[in-house]
Amino acid sequence: MTALPFVIVAGLAAAFALAIRSRPPTSAVVALLGLVACVGLAFAIQPGQVSTLNGGGLATTDYQQRFLILASLVSLGLAIAGLAAGTRRDAPAVSLAVLAAVGLTIGLVDPRAAVLVATTGGLFVVILTLVPGGARAGATVGIREARAVVVAGGLAIAAAAWIGRDLRELDAQPVVFGLAYLAMATAVAMRFGAIPFHLWAARLADVVPETALPIVTVIAPAALAVVALGWIDVMVVPRPVDLGIERLLVIAVALVTIVLAAVAAFVQDDLEHVLGYAIVSDAGVIVLALAVLEPTAGAPARTWILAFIVGRSAFAAWAAGIRTGLWTGRVADLRGWVRRSPILAAAFVVIAVAGVGFPGLAAYDARRTLVDLALDPPFSTIVLIATLAPIAYYARLFVIGVAPPDQILEAGSGWGPQFQPMGGTGLRRWLATNWAHNRGFTTAIVAAALAVLAILTSAGLFEGR
Amino acid sequence: MNPALAGVALAVVIGAVVAASAHRARTAILGLIVTFVGAAAVADPPAEALGLAARLVGALLAGYLLWIATRGHNVRTAGSRVGWPTEAFVAAAAAVVGYGSHGLGAPAAGPALASAVGFALAAVAVLPVVTGRDILRVGLGLALLLSGALLVRTGIGGTPDAFEEVLTAILIATLGGAVAVLASAAQSDGPGGFEMSEATPHRPSHAGEAPPARAR
Repeated sequence: MTALPFVIVAGLAAAFALAIRSRPPTSAVVALLGLVACVGLAFAIQPGQVSTLNGGGLATTDYQQRFLILASLVSLGLAIAGLAAGTRRDAPAVSLAVLAAVGLTIGLVDPRAAVLVATTGGLFVVILTLVPGGARAGATVGIREARAVVVAGGLAIAAAAWIGRDLRELDAQPVVFGLAYLAMATAVAMRFGAIPFHLWAARLADVVPETALPIVTVIAPAALAVVALGWIDVMVVPRPVDLGIERLLVIAVALVTIVLAAVAAFVQDDLEHVLGYAIVSDAGVIVLALAVLEPTAGAPARTWILAFIVGRSAFAAWAAGIRTGLWTGRVADLRGWVRRSPILAAAFVVIAVAGVGFPGLAAYDARRTLVDLALDPPFSTIVLIATLAPIAYYARLFVIGVAPPDQILEAGSGWGPQFQPMGGTGLRRWLATNWAHNRGFTTAIVAAALAVLAILTSAGLFEGR
Repeated sequence: MNPALAGVALAVVIGAVVAASAHRARTAILGLIVTFVGAAAVADPPAEALGLAARLVGALLAGYLLWIATRGHNVRTAGSRVGWPTEAFVAAAAAVVGYGSHGLGAPAAGPALASAVGFALAAVAVLPVVTGRDILRVGLGLALLLSGALLVRTGIGGTPDAFEEVLTAILIATLGGAVAVLASAAQSDGPGGFEMSEATPHRPSHAGEAPPARAR
């Protein structure tokens, strides 16, 4: 089976869930069923097939299948965590729309068509910026997100068109080649909110709930990054053009992003901003991959992208679990969170190990390979050490977590499941009561499940080819 | 030069100038619709019927969604502060640059007019996109920028196939819908029309908040 059924089901389920958004419970159920169907359809994809679509081609690859399986699983997990922790009512539907766009983006053979779909997918998410009771402020953040998406899309469209034609009679190489390459790299950097394009991305963390943030800043831009990597592999790498200055610019953006975003994550006072900047910091490695103009960069870059998607989504679910259980997202107020929630503590350790990694772990090795390919020693060693900067914000959160709690723990506010007897209130009320009593536990379990998925992905279970 | 193509190109640029400079929201949207519809026709050879039809539907849908978002009596947007003559001169200058640099360093597969109009639209879009403080105006600028990029793509890469035109139509409709949703949300949030907010949204994530009871 090709990815087409996946795209169609995800798109239709998203449209239906949005059409009935005035009935939130029904819309949520439809979206969750759609996400479950997407997981199944992603597993059913058979790599190596090509569909012809009236002038366009949709290829099914092994990497596309792995990407869609993981993206569907984390979207489903984040949707459940979001329903438990509180999120926008449209978040699951938007996840489906993004999955449809991602499935199509990665599968399209022609990069000129793929960047169009990647841009469309980026626009779906602006609906998540609308804040009840603060519509103008949310819309302001939303239009800035749309601005980043469209400007990035415009750059990518122009770059893909420029190189995607017969270039045997060039009048002005390699300057225009460099500009096209730089335009594509800038487009990817903008979509991820890499420094210096990060201001709008930081504001996103103010309005988008934790469980929806990875949909906006991880999954949707990652599809464009995959297209850009493929485009560079096929269109740029084989040409004997010196892109030294352009490469240096991209490397500079990547390094500044990796280091400064990690520092920003360390100093933030809110978990949402820690998460936002952690995402930006890890995305810096993807931007760095764009600067490696060698055929060997593709595999580690794709491996890193998968680890990035699952790892950051697990971190988002963990943040949602903390907020649901402790009713706060302020880091200073999280004293003793490790003692209060063993499940979230275990998940956190696994997420940190998956995110930072160690030699032998596929994600760590992929990152090291990209750094080694992008830079010569001793700079590569320095940068490799810099990529370990996330240890700082993980350590800060953990140290606060093991500190003595600043308030007495309430009896019965534990993190195990709490089932109420059915009594005579009927099944529906019983289910609603138990759901309300187990929001914290549900979010913690989802975070733990995504943490396990993150470490498996980082270990290479879904290694890209 | 094909006179019919030149006429369409001129209409597209005039529509863009109106979209970027009009103070009445619906006048600006009408200009944008003209730009969207005309831009699909600035290609040589013309796009396939299916592609053209898709672009027409996408353009009208985007325009209709924006039209709904600007419901009300005499709804206004910020418009151009420098006036339409300046916008027109900017567009004309950029069109000359686009025409002269057609192909951007290599033989092009599309008409020079597409590059000229693409550059004109991108130039007119710069002010609203960069300096706009009005959600609808920024959205109109983004639509013009996107149309400009698509026209440059047609100019250097040739006429897109039907499938790419369908994807383009979906992108245009999605952009129209996204801007409409955001503009509508801003307008419904008290006085101020489509003005952007100066304040950062409050996030209820600090100690003492009530536990989340239901989806927001």
